[in-house]
Amino acid sequence: MPRVRVSFRAMAAEHEIVVDHDDERGAREAIDAAIADVRRIEAKFSRYRDDSVTGAIARAAGGAPVAIDDETAALLAYAATCHALSEGAFDATSGVLRRAWDFRAQPPRLPDRSAIAALLPLVDWTAVERTPTTVRLPRPGMQLDFGGIGKEYAADRAAGLIAARGVRHALVNLGGDMRAIGGQADGTPWRIGIRHPRPGPDRPAAIAWVELADAALATSGDYERCFEIDGVRYSHILDARTGWPVRHWQSVSVLAPLAVVAGSCATIAMLLCERAPAFLAGQAVAWLGVDGAGVLRGTLAP
Amino acid sequence: MAATERVAGPGALVAAALALPGVALSPAAQAQSAPDAAFVQFKYLDYRDWQGGGRRMRVDSPGFYAVKPLSDSLVVEGSLVYDGMSGASPLYFNALSGASGEGVRDYRTAGDAKVTKYFERFAVGVGGAYSHERDYISRAGTVEVRAWTQDRNRTYAFAFSGAADRIHTESGAADRESKYVLDFLAGVTQVVNPTLIVQSNVTYSRGHGYFTDPYKLLDRRPDHRRVLAWLTRANQHFPDSGGTLKAAYRYLDDSFGADSHMLEAAWHQSLPQGWSVTPSLRYLSQKAAWFFYGPPVGSGLRPGQPYTADARLSAFGALTPGILVAKQLDDGWVVDLKVEYYQQKSSWKLGGEGSEGILPLSARWIQLGVGRSF
Repeated sequence: MPRVRVSFRAMAAEHEIVVDHDDERGAREAIDAAIADVRRIEAKFSRYRDDSVTGAIARAAGGAPVAIDDETAALLAYAATCHALSEGAFDATSGVLRRAWDFRAQPPRLPDRSAIAALLPLVDWTAVERTPTTVRLPRPGMQLDFGGIGKEYAADRAAGLIAARGVRHALVNLGGDMRAIGGQADGTPWRIGIRHPRPGPDRPAAIAWVELADAALATSGDYERCFEIDGVRYSHILDARTGWPVRHWQSVSVLAPLAVVAGSCATIAMLLCERAPAFLAGQAVAWLGVDGAGVLRGTLAP
Repeated sequence: MAATERVAGPGALVAAALALPGVALSPAAQAQSAPDAAFVQFKYLDYRDWQGGGRRMRVDSPGFYAVKPLSDSLVVEGSLVYDGMSGASPLYFNALSGASGEGVRDYRTAGDAKVTKYFERFAVGVGGAYSHERDYISRAGTVEVRAWTQDRNRTYAFAFSGAADRIHTESGAADRESKYVLDFLAGVTQVVNPTLIVQSNVTYSRGHGYFTDPYKLLDRRPDHRRVLAWLTRANQHFPDSGGTLKAAYRYLDDSFGADSHMLEAAWHQSLPQGWSVTPSLRYLSQKAAWFFYGPPVGSGLRPGQPYTADARLSAFGALTPGILVAKQLDDGWVVDLKVEYYQQKSSWKLGGEGSEGILPLSARWIQLGVGRSF
């Protein structure tokens, strides 16, 4: 059975879709449809584009409610579930903290405590006024983003679009968060390496391997965007309640039936620190965590 | 407005995520794929019925069911049942209580097997069944075809089955009699959205031969019967509460005249730690067969004409409350317990006007199942 493999870039990350299918042309059409949908979601919810839905919602903050479509309403409802299940640690309004935290600055520098304190009133999911057809951010300066959800939602939709064309073996990998349709054509599962959170010349690139068939895997780590000052690592996983990076797990990978579940669980686990195992057990997902000492934890740990 | 959703239970995020447009579990996880795990189950049924305060019939029935994939696309399944029955078969009506006093004691062994081959867009199944008790032997065969759309949201089912039964009682009431029944089924199942599934099936059954109950005094039924049944079911899942409402309605048109309406509702509730509970309520309203005559026995009997006094062919309404409690254990074990209680009363018929003089009939089932997938 021929294998078609297409790499592309969107949502500020590298993606890849692999399809094993009898009909090579059908496989390419399926992949094209999936990529078009990923780009559609990026344009619609990008935090970098003014013409996006999230851009419009942010511009109207403090003003009138903004009309939203069913898809946006569904994503907001899912974000609300994440907020409730994480006891407020997951907060779709926390993106505003990036105004204080610049992980690209050279040399790295810590934000002023006063700058973070000034932003914290803008981080408040419970203040978001939501109806099935409108949303309103009550305070000027507030914004919404779908980090930990959007890319994974796109992966699930891409997998659905590909499967709807009769494909039985595919792997949708959006920037390391992936969803498998079946296993590989030869009957074996997809074999996915989990990146070592502290790579080095004497270390393997993958700290563990996970086998995936009809399931999804997502990883959240403190190594994605971060800097170190005086030996202390500051990552982009920010606690919405303090405005400061959490520090407990180097990375958490979650195996779940859906990519959006795997992605949100991994992000919430990072945020919940030592309470992550209880939360993940409650969501009935399999997981692998690398703790602060580099020790593997979780249901997938050896 | 307070922006919090109702959330609860294990897997709450999966339930919430399935509300996202275009997000669905893998097609392989849905129906219509070949089962990818073997499953064996042992069930024990304890049945009792009684009428007018006297205990009538009891059945203890251990059963065994197994399904095993032989390959990615070929699945074989089969079951075995062993019934031990004792007691009197149902009374005719109160005027005759004790008429069947000598009672029935019998054993039945039954088994069936089916092989299903799954293809890309359809599946074909071929099966056979055999049942044996002292006075009744049944052989049946079935062929079914299921086909689904590319997105697997709609499935069509067509089935054809035939049964040949042999009835012979020691009393001589039935002397090497036979009965042949052909069944046709056409159905469609539609996934309307990730939380709603609707199914509608039409079954047409045509039979000829010996339909009489040889253990009932004066019983003599027509030698042809055709039954048209239309069943519609809907399952609506509510992600917020982790519950599923299951509703069903069946209309049955019977050439015997015992037309009926059946309405059923059940609520399946997932609970923490692998528990689930499903309370259910079923209502059946049936017209009397055109050859049914109420007490006193023999009234209405005309020589050479069909006649029955069987309460099951009278006009009645019946309610069946039930509850199923299941627990999913580690390592693929499932234990479930089902209890149902059936009560039939003439006065419960839709619009009243049930058959007169029939004592209420009650029955209860307790079924314990233990299963494991591998």
